[in-house]
Amino acid sequence: MHRRIFSHPILDFKRGKPVKIYFEGKEIQAYEGETVAAALVANGIDVFGESYKRNRPRGFYCAIGKCSSCVMIIDGESNVRTCITPVREGMKVARQHGRGDPKW
Amino acid sequence: MVETDFLVIGGGPAGLSAALEASRRGVKTLVVDEGIEAGGQLLKQTHKFFGHEGFYASVRGFEIAKEILNSLGDNVDILTMTTVTGVYEDVITAYDRNADKMIEIKPRFTLIATGASERFIQFENNDLPGVYGAGAVQTLMNQYGVLPGERVLMIGSGNIGLIVSYQLLQAGAEVKAIVEIANKVGGYEVHANKIKRFGVPIILRHTIKKVVGDQRVEGAIIVEVDDEFNEIPGSEKELAVDTVCIATGLTPSIEIAAMAGVELQYIPELGGYVPYRDENMRTNISNLFIAGDVSGIEEATTAMIEGSIAGLVVASECKKLDLTEEIASMKKELSEFRSGPFSEKVRSGLKKFSIDYPTYSYRDSVQRQEPPKGKLVPVIECNQAIPCNPCQTSCPTGAITVSGNINSLPEIDYNKCVGCGVCVMKCPGLAIFMIQENAENNTDVVVIPWEFALPEKGEAVIALDKDGEPVCEGEIFKVVKSSNKTHLVYLKVPTGHGRSVRNFARLQREDNRYVCRCEEITEADIEKAIEQGFTDFEELRRYLRLGMGPCGGRTCRLNALSILARKTGKKISELGHGVFRPPAMPIKFESLLKGEKSHGE
Amino acid sequence: MGNDYRVVIIGGGIVGCAIAYHLTKLGEKSVAVFEKNYLSSGATGRCGGGIRQQWSSLNNVLLAMRSVKHFERFSEEVGMDIEYKQGGYLVLSYTDEEAVEFEKNVKMQREAGLKVEILSPKEVERRYPYINTEGVKMATFCQSDGHANPHLAAFGYARASQKLGADIFTHTKVVGLERLCDSRWIVHTTNGSVKADVVINAAGAFSREVGKLAGVDLPTESYRHQIFVTEPLKDFFDPMAISFSGNYYMRQTKHGNFVMGQGDADEKAGINYSVTFRFEKELSRKMARIFPFLRKLRIIRHWSGHYNMSPDAQPIIGESPSVRGYYYAVGFSGHGFMLAPAVGEAIAEMILYGKAAHVDVSDLNVQRLKGGVVKEKNVV
Repeated sequence: MHRRIFSHPILDFKRGKPVKIYFEGKEIQAYEGETVAAALVANGIDVFGESYKRNRPRGFYCAIGKCSSCVMIIDGESNVRTCITPVREGMKVARQHGRGDPKW
Repeated sequence: MVETDFLVIGGGPAGLSAALEASRRGVKTLVVDEGIEAGGQLLKQTHKFFGHEGFYASVRGFEIAKEILNSLGDNVDILTMTTVTGVYEDVITAYDRNADKMIEIKPRFTLIATGASERFIQFENNDLPGVYGAGAVQTLMNQYGVLPGERVLMIGSGNIGLIVSYQLLQAGAEVKAIVEIANKVGGYEVHANKIKRFGVPIILRHTIKKVVGDQRVEGAIIVEVDDEFNEIPGSEKELAVDTVCIATGLTPSIEIAAMAGVELQYIPELGGYVPYRDENMRTNISNLFIAGDVSGIEEATTAMIEGSIAGLVVASECKKLDLTEEIASMKKELSEFRSGPFSEKVRSGLKKFSIDYPTYSYRDSVQRQEPPKGKLVPVIECNQAIPCNPCQTSCPTGAITVSGNINSLPEIDYNKCVGCGVCVMKCPGLAIFMIQENAENNTDVVVIPWEFALPEKGEAVIALDKDGEPVCEGEIFKVVKSSNKTHLVYLKVPTGHGRSVRNFARLQREDNRYVCRCEEITEADIEKAIEQGFTDFEELRRYLRLGMGPCGGRTCRLNALSILARKTGKKISELGHGVFRPPAMPIKFESLLKGEKSHGE
Repeated sequence: MGNDYRVVIIGGGIVGCAIAYHLTKLGEKSVAVFEKNYLSSGATGRCGGGIRQQWSSLNNVLLAMRSVKHFERFSEEVGMDIEYKQGGYLVLSYTDEEAVEFEKNVKMQREAGLKVEILSPKEVERRYPYINTEGVKMATFCQSDGHANPHLAAFGYARASQKLGADIFTHTKVVGLERLCDSRWIVHTTNGSVKADVVINAAGAFSREVGKLAGVDLPTESYRHQIFVTEPLKDFFDPMAISFSGNYYMRQTKHGNFVMGQGDADEKAGINYSVTFRFEKELSRKMARIFPFLRKLRIIRHWSGHYNMSPDAQPIIGESPSVRGYYYAVGFSGHGFMLAPAVGEAIAEMILYGKAAHVDVSDLNVQRLKGGVVKEKNVV
């Protein structure tokens, strides 16, 4: 399924430079200026992780950095709010299962 | 440490308006906003605003944001991707997530314009991916150009639910239904009509019971409710949707105001707990103001006016200016906007802060003239008192009047009307059409305000009524493109249907009429490619791989040529026939090798 | 048709379209392309579609590497999915002499920043059990090589440049070039005449004739090359397989068909669009031996195109030293498709900024051919 809106009667989407990011090791297409969440959803990826108590699937919810439903592991760092984090070339994005891992 | 005259927390309609009014008068202003760009909800609003043209009526929200941002002068600094995290005794702090650092701010005056957050409602599996707030859907769809799914169930028929449904249709999604727990539509009738005429049902007295799905939404079960909103067992229905969009209301984002020590009061009419403020938008703390949805859930135009009032008051105190008149005129503006029936809740809520508005009279019912037969004239289908008048102000001949208060219903004088169609393009509710009954050759003409991909002149369509039901066949005979993107589509229908036709459906040729069997290329694929500009038969073949399958073009060549001839108006003989390449039937490698020996063997 | 352009490009193949695209992308909107037939009707639409960076000359390596950068973002940037796949190029050597050459080439390629592997016949067999390695001495492999659909690439560049302001005229042949006293050009076509500051010869197989229109003698000659394609199979064959000593190349397209070809040393210079059965027999015999799975597969279409050869098998790129305002990007010697993105960019930069900014192409002008030539050897 292709979810990117390419022609719109009112809006003109000015997408930035294409960049590649990696979701669970798989390369996906994103555009500079968009958030990780937007890029994932555009690629048909709705499940971003798993809740910590009941292992429920989790995706984005508020899209403005408030609800933390969309946290993922980005370049090894857990708990990153993907709905307000812009994509970066080569970024490695992984599902977060429950609580984030400590890093030292 | 950043010192500033005026800190504006939140760069949405209220905050930006305040920044504009204050900075214009010399106040050094710092706007802090969480978004990737400032503008708040305006950035996601693709519809034209109601109101009057002095306050951006008929301008689309995202364009309003651009206009305001462009008119901000040097006195304003905007920090985006920055969140105010606390109002401490010593400083106000903000986190700049771009630079990953904290900023300490010491302002003389502060405006909290943090807006609202969405209400979550409870139903089974409401935490699954695919259940999203309407704001989130708007962010994803209108800011990033990404659809959350293909088939959507909208929960709630307030203005947000209606507007977002329409936006989803524009972006190419299907809206299966809107469910509304109450027994009537919550938002403006004109917004509801915009989606009803696309056949989207608004199912009243229903709510969502459960989402079906394992990893994400795969369907939704809705249920009827009784007068006390209790579910009626046995009335469940399942809808095949992949997205559930929740638009059941907003609540003020009061966290920062609360931390700052502003008194809070629970006022359900304003959306929950709201910070105290007076008519000047001042809280109980003398240099702290609030404006917009954080001060009570309403809409963007009143947020802009509230922000402007706050900005003017701050300017008058910070720069010791006499702005009594300007402030008074803004307040008058606000009270006029709030004089209609849709503002009743807000008025009664504000009474609890002892803010009273005078009663205005406005015309809320109108007996409009019958449109004269034979003449192309507008029919105005705006029957709810809402604060809006661009039909009047845009009419070049003065044929339309919104008399007295801005909430009055418009009237039209067909003697003055010349049928120019400007009101049809301007009307923010897309509630004005034009009809010409008994035009010629037993046809009626209907002109439809159109905000979707444009149809072609000469295209045959199915004419639909106000509920999206097919009425008759029609033909597009004229398309007038408008710079505001509400285009006019002129439709011819058989006489007698002009009064009922309000929309049309483009004939969707089934996309399984194959022309090339080898490469599975349909008639629609070919037509689309031709429309994209592949009108040279050779280019068309190579673009689509027509004839590149094992049959070598036997099946498709002539059919493809005749489609091309039809679409381009050329003769087949002018188009050429393309090349023919050997072998004329597929030949196995090993068969080739069994033939005569190669040279030199 | 406008009647005055800054730049006129002769030839609507991949090279002409790439130049038009890069010019308009860099802001030069006054661009016209004249194509005597339809877009991609020449060598572009007839070629194998390979995109290779493993060359014996550094110039070609650098140009190809830059092109790959463009191909990697083509679909997003230009807005057309060109079926690009980086399945690698497996270059098989059948002679000891060539194997020695390859080792030198790989050293040079690696120094240029290319990731190239040297594979033993055993390793080739392990990775590609469907290839018969009999007679193979060694192979080299570069994963970032690949292939794409040349028609779509040309259409993509053409459409994108039109969106940015270029005018493209197909079925419009340039029949004369006239120099005005203010050093501008009048370009006479079969559909009227236009003025231009700069004329670019991107005429592929017809580069020599188009050179003559301006009095520029380009040392190129066109040779027919034949190619055929099979019915499709499931997608399993990742690399483009090629051999210079074995004289073949083959790839599987996104649609599952196998496209393959070989060179013919007996071919005479000149334009010839016919095809020979001899070619079908020779190539199928050879390929069925190396790729046994082909035996049961059917050939469905066979056609020919031309390599526009230069004396050293490297492209001739630049502004004519004798006729200013006349540029050419010709003589690609069978490799125009894969080099076009970088060359289009370089030509656009030369015209707009006086110098190519991304790849140094100053060694590729016609003057290099004055002395002895060092021939690119990696050509089928």
